[in-house]
Amino acid sequence: MLEIYNRTLFLVFISLILSIHLDAQVPDLYSYNDLSMFSFAKQKDSLKKTWDCPQLYKDKSTQKKYKEIWNERTDFITSAIEANNYINDGKIYNYIEAIISNLYKANPQLLKQKPLLLIDRSASVNAYAMGENVIAVNLGLITFAQSREELALAIAHELSHNILNHPENSMKQRAEWLTSDEYKNSLKAVLDSKYQRLSRLKKVMESYTFSRNRHSRYHESEADSLAIILLKNSHISFDPEFFLRLDSTDDEYRQPLKNPTKNYFASYHVPLEDDWFNQRSKGLSSHTYNFNSPAVIVDSLKTHPDCVERYEKTKSEINLTGKLTPIPAEIKERANKMLIWNIYDNLSLTECLYRIFLEKDKGNMDPWYDFMTYNVLSGLYYSNKQLNRFNAIGIKSKEFISKSYYELQNLLEQVPANTLVELIKAGSNAAFWSSLPPDAKGMKALFTTLNFDIDNVPKAESAAANNFVNSNPSSMYCEFAEHFKK
Amino acid sequence: MKKQVLTLLLSVSFFVATAQTKVFKEVSDDIATQTRGIIQDNSLVGYVIFTRLEKASADSFNYKITLMDENLNDIGTVNFTEIGLDLEGVAFDQDVLCLAYLKSSTQGKVFKNKRQAKQSNLEDDVLIQFLTLNGQIARTNSLPVNLNSTLTTTAGNQWGFNKFQYTGSLKHEVQLQNVSGKGFACFYGDADGCNLVAYDFKGNQLWKKSIDDKQAFALFASKSDIYLLEKEKQKYIEGGGSLTGFNFEDGKSYPKIAMQDKDGRSLTMMNFGTDPVTGNPFICGKIIDTRNGNHLGLVKNYTHAPYDGVYTIDVNGHNKKDLKETFIYWNDGSQKPGISKLGYMSDTKSFTVLSSAFRDYNGNTYFVGSQLIKKVKIGSILASVITAPLIIPPIMILSVGTSKCKLLNANVVKLSSKGTLSLDNTIACANSSFWRSNTDFATVNGGRNFYSLDDPESKSSFVIADDSKNIMIYNVDQKKIVRTIPHKAEGVHTTIGPAKDGHFMVIEYNKKEKYTRLSIESLK
Repeated sequence: MLEIYNRTLFLVFISLILSIHLDAQVPDLYSYNDLSMFSFAKQKDSLKKTWDCPQLYKDKSTQKKYKEIWNERTDFITSAIEANNYINDGKIYNYIEAIISNLYKANPQLLKQKPLLLIDRSASVNAYAMGENVIAVNLGLITFAQSREELALAIAHELSHNILNHPENSMKQRAEWLTSDEYKNSLKAVLDSKYQRLSRLKKVMESYTFSRNRHSRYHESEADSLAIILLKNSHISFDPEFFLRLDSTDDEYRQPLKNPTKNYFASYHVPLEDDWFNQRSKGLSSHTYNFNSPAVIVDSLKTHPDCVERYEKTKSEINLTGKLTPIPAEIKERANKMLIWNIYDNLSLTECLYRIFLEKDKGNMDPWYDFMTYNVLSGLYYSNKQLNRFNAIGIKSKEFISKSYYELQNLLEQVPANTLVELIKAGSNAAFWSSLPPDAKGMKALFTTLNFDIDNVPKAESAAANNFVNSNPSSMYCEFAEHFKK
Repeated sequence: MKKQVLTLLLSVSFFVATAQTKVFKEVSDDIATQTRGIIQDNSLVGYVIFTRLEKASADSFNYKITLMDENLNDIGTVNFTEIGLDLEGVAFDQDVLCLAYLKSSTQGKVFKNKRQAKQSNLEDDVLIQFLTLNGQIARTNSLPVNLNSTLTTTAGNQWGFNKFQYTGSLKHEVQLQNVSGKGFACFYGDADGCNLVAYDFKGNQLWKKSIDDKQAFALFASKSDIYLLEKEKQKYIEGGGSLTGFNFEDGKSYPKIAMQDKDGRSLTMMNFGTDPVTGNPFICGKIIDTRNGNHLGLVKNYTHAPYDGVYTIDVNGHNKKDLKETFIYWNDGSQKPGISKLGYMSDTKSFTVLSSAFRDYNGNTYFVGSQLIKKVKIGSILASVITAPLIIPPIMILSVGTSKCKLLNANVVKLSSKGTLSLDNTIACANSSFWRSNTDFATVNGGRNFYSLDDPESKSSFVIADDSKNIMIYNVDQKKIVRTIPHKAEGVHTTIGPAKDGHFMVIEYNKKEKYTRLSIESLK
């Protein structure tokens, strides 16, 4: 009873915080304080108290293991909050929450309590259920989905996992297996064996993985079936084609740019040699190799396996009651910008710039994308100075990317530092700055110090970062400045 | 910066495996990994990680080869089972990876007693494996070797009973190189002799030649031939070399070329590589002074004219007449006023301890080394004069030496394609302290190191100057330092390694946090 009370209190508390926040007006995309480290600080601290592991097993070792696994889940969420993996953005939250409300109200028998929603900043096209009536929706899913109905299907699927207690059951199953005689004996046999220990251990793990996958497949199928019911009760159309679209989520960077890569830098009027866009190395990446057909991602390794099978199983349930509702452009735009910023802040510069160019291909003239291009070039120059350019570019194998992406990563790798300086200087004098808010302009000043202040660099960096944070305390870009404050 | 990782970990299907980490560690004591760069025609084209996974039987192990491209992206893996292997060499050409191992069922194995040890099979081999880019082991060849193994005792158990193991090694380590478009050449030496072996890309042995044993060997493959630079056992620490070429097709050897000048002075070998302009082999180094050349242990020895000059030899063919030899002497006074007869450089008022040499894309040869200055310890002399009547104190004072030495910046000395020698520039380095002149040179040098890198695309050459404070990358054409990599705080060891063309690898080992950070950075 106390446990239910605690959980309810926690959910109410989070909802209250969210509702207070939603009334606030935020400059730019969001405020620095909207990041989960601040906006969920109290919840994070109280999570461990409110999420008490239930007493399920008489066997002490199984209960102990179950508690360990239970606490791992709590630790995962608290560390994700601490790492700012979640964002408390009013507009996006409201939009997704409205879909959840729709499903909640129409399914009172299945959803006894309104679920708690978290918006994850990840670019992965996914949503996930954490049990305890909590689900998270990734920004990557919001930018990928083409309609409200597609989002509703993904959300209903995750809610179904919670309704069917799949997360809890998985934890139980794992605790039971790890404390079972079968597991202990097989592990003992591994440790007792003189030879092939690693292979034997792999076999033990594989037998569990096989069983888990079988259960997982069943769980997915079960959640799909229930999701269709949730949607039907809510009068939300169900289009099984979405499963087929999900199959392509790992091909994000195989999408080519509309124009030659060089053209995207034309406005800088800085000569870029054609050679810089080509791979000139004699390395193995330029050879033809075929160990495991790497060009085709094995289905089990995909973000969403079994998509075709899921489509086949559910296609008879198609229920297109009306026109599909496009996701409002403002929501898409906000989610995409947040995604690009997060990718940038994670120092994945090629991915960030490629997404910017994909947006430009759509005819988006928003100066924010020019600002972000400037940030990428400045970040690359800074990484070059720090001998971290290679990691900042994050070179991907050519099998998994388009020719345009390949050219772009070649350019970022090979453009000489002095040309980068020219590009940065051209960017800093461009017209787009006039339409940007003061904190964006502050980023330019910060980068000028980071990149071109040669005296007493660590102190100057720290001072410039402090100066930025003090001048723009609520700016979302404080997240970036914080990296240099120490 | 923050990295989002494994967001999906909490989704219903991912609750697995973390609890297995400890177990995995416990069962994986046997795991050992060797990492090597894959070299083709002197360019790094990728990396191979050779991992011994586990014991498969009493004598054999399961192994995994992981291939990575030049950007450290995985290409694929190959698994196989073999007797104990140590990876000795890697070469690549025509989409075939050639790996050389030392194969032994006894080395490293501990025996409970002498009888068990004596019953074991002492047959060891150099194993040559040919791997395709489809992940197939196309062929494996064994070359029996005699490791001159001796049975030694190891630490005993608690009752004091000793255990036994065989220790032995090749006399000359395996050297493996690709011969562009033709095959692979392998050199090794054991207790029974030295061998040079050639293979085609299918792994067929083309020929095998016995080579007379020498003090040391260096294998080099040119466009069409292979060369062995041999060092004779003779009185000079550095000199005494000869060069022998072999036709790759049939193993026929060409006339041996002695590494000495026309007066019989021995030559040091500072670089044996490919001329970036002609693609032919070239050798360069210093001409050893017949009188002072063999005394190099102390720092003062470098001020006593151990070398008479520098030389380059372009190997344009197989015979003596095909060699283009350039000998530049300073001991005859011909380089004055720039360089004195003793090798003292007037512009920098220093001697130069030349330690690295290379050729650029314009046919110039550069010699790089630390400036060395020597000063008289006036205080010591005065003190010994003042205390002269006391007899013993002045002897003691004089016994520690009357001069001191110090290393300053680096001198970049250029031997132009036209044969003129001059100081081209200096590279600012962290100066050493003053040391007594009879201090070991290694102590004074303090790990300072110079080596070179090329960027074939921009046809630029670089000097890497590694001193106690920084690693500097100096562009020879632009005559300036283009990158400076500081040696970071205590506990972080920073080194530079080879990487794909036009790049270098920064390797940072953090001793405290126990991680190694790799970054491949552009030379530009």
